[in-house]
Amino acid sequence: MTESVIGVSRPRVDAPDKVTGATRYAADGHVHGLLHARLLLSPEAHALIRRVDRDAALAMPGVVAVLTADDLPIAGAGSDRTTEPLARNEVVFAGQPVALVVAESEAAAEDAVEAVVVEYEPLPAVVDVEDAMLPGRALARVVEENAGGGDLESVHAATDKGQDEGEDEQLSDNVLDKVHRSNGDAAAQLETSDAVVSGTFRTPWVYQAYIEPQVATAWLEPNGNLVVSTSTQGTFVTQRELARAFDLPLERIRVVAEPLGGAFGGKFALVEPLAAGATLALGRPVRVVFTRTDDFQATNPASAQVSHLKVGARKDGTLTAITARMIVDRGSNAGWGVEGITSLLVAGPYRWEAHDLRGYGVQTNRFTFGAYRGPGAPTAAFALETLLDELAVELGLDPLELRLKNAVVEDDIGVSGNPFPRMGAVEVLERIREHPLWQSRESLPDGEGVGFAAGYWPGGNEPAAAVCRVNQDGTMTVVTSAVDMSGVNTGFATIAAEAFGLSPDQIRVVSADTTTGPYSGASGGSKVTYTVGAAVLRAAEAAREKLLAAASEELEIAAADLEVVDGVVRAVGSPDHSITVAEISGKALRFGGRYEPIEGHGGSAQTRGAPSVAAHLAHVRVDRETGETTLLAHVIAQDVGRALNPALVEGQMRGGATQGIGWALYEELVHDESGQLLTSSFLDYAIPLADRVPDIDTLIVEVPAPDGPFGAKGIGEAPVIAAAPAIANAVAAAVGIRLRELPMSAPRVWAALEDARA
Amino acid sequence: MPAARRLELVVNGERRSVEIEPRTLLVQALRDGLGLTGTHIGCDTSQCGACTVLVDERAVKSCTMLALQAEGSEVMTIEGLSRDGELHPIQRAFVEHHGLQCGFCTPGMILTASDLLSRAPYPDDPTIRRSLRGNFCRCTGYQSIVESVRAAATALRTGTA
Amino acid sequence: MIPAAVEHVRASSLEDAFEALADPEAKALAGGQSLLPVMKLRIFRPSVLVDIGRLELDGMQLGETELRLGSLTTWNKLESAPELERPSLAAISECAAEIGDLQVRNRGTLGGSLAHADPASDMPAVVLALGAQLVLRAADGERTVSAEEFFLGPFTTALTPGELITEVVVPLVDGSGSAYVKVEHPASGFALAGAAAQMTRNGKQRVAVTGVGAHPFLLPEAADPLDALSEAEIYGDRFAPVEYRRHLAGVVVRRALERARERMEEGR
Repeated sequence: MTESVIGVSRPRVDAPDKVTGATRYAADGHVHGLLHARLLLSPEAHALIRRVDRDAALAMPGVVAVLTADDLPIAGAGSDRTTEPLARNEVVFAGQPVALVVAESEAAAEDAVEAVVVEYEPLPAVVDVEDAMLPGRALARVVEENAGGGDLESVHAATDKGQDEGEDEQLSDNVLDKVHRSNGDAAAQLETSDAVVSGTFRTPWVYQAYIEPQVATAWLEPNGNLVVSTSTQGTFVTQRELARAFDLPLERIRVVAEPLGGAFGGKFALVEPLAAGATLALGRPVRVVFTRTDDFQATNPASAQVSHLKVGARKDGTLTAITARMIVDRGSNAGWGVEGITSLLVAGPYRWEAHDLRGYGVQTNRFTFGAYRGPGAPTAAFALETLLDELAVELGLDPLELRLKNAVVEDDIGVSGNPFPRMGAVEVLERIREHPLWQSRESLPDGEGVGFAAGYWPGGNEPAAAVCRVNQDGTMTVVTSAVDMSGVNTGFATIAAEAFGLSPDQIRVVSADTTTGPYSGASGGSKVTYTVGAAVLRAAEAAREKLLAAASEELEIAAADLEVVDGVVRAVGSPDHSITVAEISGKALRFGGRYEPIEGHGGSAQTRGAPSVAAHLAHVRVDRETGETTLLAHVIAQDVGRALNPALVEGQMRGGATQGIGWALYEELVHDESGQLLTSSFLDYAIPLADRVPDIDTLIVEVPAPDGPFGAKGIGEAPVIAAAPAIANAVAAAVGIRLRELPMSAPRVWAALEDARA
Repeated sequence: MPAARRLELVVNGERRSVEIEPRTLLVQALRDGLGLTGTHIGCDTSQCGACTVLVDERAVKSCTMLALQAEGSEVMTIEGLSRDGELHPIQRAFVEHHGLQCGFCTPGMILTASDLLSRAPYPDDPTIRRSLRGNFCRCTGYQSIVESVRAAATALRTGTA
Repeated sequence: MIPAAVEHVRASSLEDAFEALADPEAKALAGGQSLLPVMKLRIFRPSVLVDIGRLELDGMQLGETELRLGSLTTWNKLESAPELERPSLAAISECAAEIGDLQVRNRGTLGGSLAHADPASDMPAVVLALGAQLVLRAADGERTVSAEEFFLGPFTTALTPGELITEVVVPLVDGSGSAYVKVEHPASGFALAGAAAQMTRNGKQRVAVTGVGAHPFLLPEAADPLDALSEAEIYGDRFAPVEYRRHLAGVVVRRALERARERMEEGR
């Protein structure tokens, strides 16, 4: 009988290299003849670039080039970060890269950046996101981009978008996208509900704060092919973006993902166009490393949002209707926005009788926003879960029972119009309810309180492929192109081990690049274990079939009567009739060998989603005198489908919860009225530190995903989502105030307490 | 412009020579000069601790030290912790107790722990957490790191290498 | 992130140091935990660093009437020195333990920090509350300045060019208790408001505040500390506005006084 390896906590496969410093991250590799690039960032939030004077910089020792937009061989049209990695004519955010100074050393490049003189013609900076929506307001981007470059005259002739057909809202051209979903008559339902609560919730720009700053290195092979070695979440998506930017065929571009020092959504094709552009322009290898200050100013944090929300319920706690107006500050990102997902997730994992949900993506003169772990979800949950608690108070109901009463089950129709698949909402809520912290919440000292909140992430789907290759020594190599962001490689080893019949110690996982690897989508969206893991499972099964076919011939026993246990193929019931995987492989992998190499290829293309629900309890103590909130304890329960490796799953749960604690209490990127970033270092931007975070109890709930490998789902994003509202609800329980703005910093809490006293 | 010069440092028990300018930070000398890339750069305000090394057995941020200031001292980087291919007990504890995810902060965490445990063989959790104030982690939520340090403390006290 | 080009000379004696510091563009480098960060951000660009880090200025002498601390004493040493484990001096190690983090405390020095005079740094409040004297030396001799006369403005002290702090002398007040309490900025760890208090048996109390004004300052002795705060000029910013900071100063002052009193009582 084989002992299953599913559900066993094993160390990460890459741990030994990481604890010895052997892992080479993207800034570590040696490249012969490497040049170093530093960014020159715009100090202006909105301006036209009139002149760039590079003479003084070029005269400095070690400086090779000062590149501006015109020097990069960008062929693609557009003004996104891929096709306009350096600002062409118009700067649209303070911190936007305007030039790249390339030198023999980082120090020389940094020295020379100061010597480049740029002349700007300032334009009005659009910084108030709600104001920017109104007709007649100044536009955050004025230059019309076309293939031939910008038309500067149109600066003064910018016009508004007229009234949208069928809509009664007059909106400026700063509104890049609107979404609207509705069902039934939500307004009327709210009128007749027994309890209605509403509020306006503000969440700030929040920075992913991966500890490894962004970096990419590019060089040309002797045949002119472009190679980019980078810290990225996705090789193929980066390859596509580079192809689009530089009009190169895919086969001329090779993207290699180095081990990732954290990303959380922020590392998608932001640096590579810069490095690639510089290499193509100069014909020499170039490494672009963002300093932390650059990374604060010039990357892609999560959008600030203003959410106007109203929810209603009947006396018995049945939720009736929800209306929402979610305004998302996209900054200067015209390509995509989270207004769709946030206005979907604001309904939470609950049933509603009617809904009217609107989302707006608005451009302002701030950074291009980017994805950050569950984009659009923490902001929506903060609003919803706060109001649901208030509804409970108004109706005199237990807040957790209110959630349970309305929690979706399989086939309930969500606000997307689609049925929910099997999802552990009820199971997670019931599990949290049992925790002693919830049980004892009424008997706490003054100034302490316990709060609860729940949220979910829909998960993602993307087709993927994998290869399992048995080596001459009987070990196995698993090949995917998935970037290991959350420990997925360790998961793949577990999956392959279980499916094939080897110990995970006998399995190596390799992350291949765009030239050598089977296809994998980017790591993100909580889908890699679900999709690539499923491909690995099928590849391992395919390899096992080949193995058994060969073994069957060797042992003269039907394949159906064979089992594979810990690297040995043996007859079921008579283990003496056996042959090792190594022996079979040895007979295959040699000149004149009898058997095909023992390899399997697998693919996956799930269409069913595997959403994950997570609920939090937070126990806080609020110091009424200082406004400081101390988190005394925290609990998270999450439906993970199947915990392939509980330790890794717990790591994701704790890590996500901790980022949620950051949303709740500490994190905020702040601009002034002219669009200048005031918080451009960790001196101003606080992230959770070791002595600010308590132990976090993790309650793993397993509601298997039918299409996931052994029932596993993608779980990386759900844990961040409801941490902040749990803490907000705890603060309300502790000292009776409800903050409508994140983070709940000490000064804000104190001010709210003062207001309440008055 | 101050001239480049050669600097002799003792790193991981060996005499090494590296070309530096006076302004060269210790972290740069280690990474660029000596190829010891296990020491990482994570910020520019001396906060994140990813650059932590031991100087005369004390944890310091190598980004906040000139290479010249390390002259005459013994510098140990993460690469110097293991002996003959054997993981140091602290390293083993981090592996076994899942004290890392992306691993970028890990060398710094381990070396700070080494300093702490050399002075406080019985640290309680609050002491461990406080001592890791200067080591940022964004992945783990810190708990598994604290557990790893606690396990390392036991291993070091009992000699269970 | 990389400092601007600079020269470095190591001083093997104080005389050496003074000679090198005669250059107005020269700056003394001790532990570097205050100076190197501002150089890395290129806010500050001395032309020469005079490295005094190896000079023997790190002694600690507990006498009958005073404690003499060498200016190169690290926070780490101050945090754990057995000589400081008494109610009258408790504020020193209490404060040192809260500065920066473990790594910073291994290298940061008392003198380096006092000379840097960040208006939100912690130890100035303690030296003010304990009535310390700073021994300053230059090429032409030595003088002593009280802590109250030392902190003049943001990053501005009574040090003249080429002058170094060599010792901090703390008078021992028999039977007194001291404490340091701060509320820190969650990002930088600097004091949003910090207060050091000394409570003596005859009822005298000395309180100094940091983090809220142009420089750390002593509250007038005769007055009620909270009244004195309401008169003081308090700085605010977007994160912590003036009203909040003034209130916070009152809180830490009160808490520091309470703790100093407790220590004084337990020392009886």
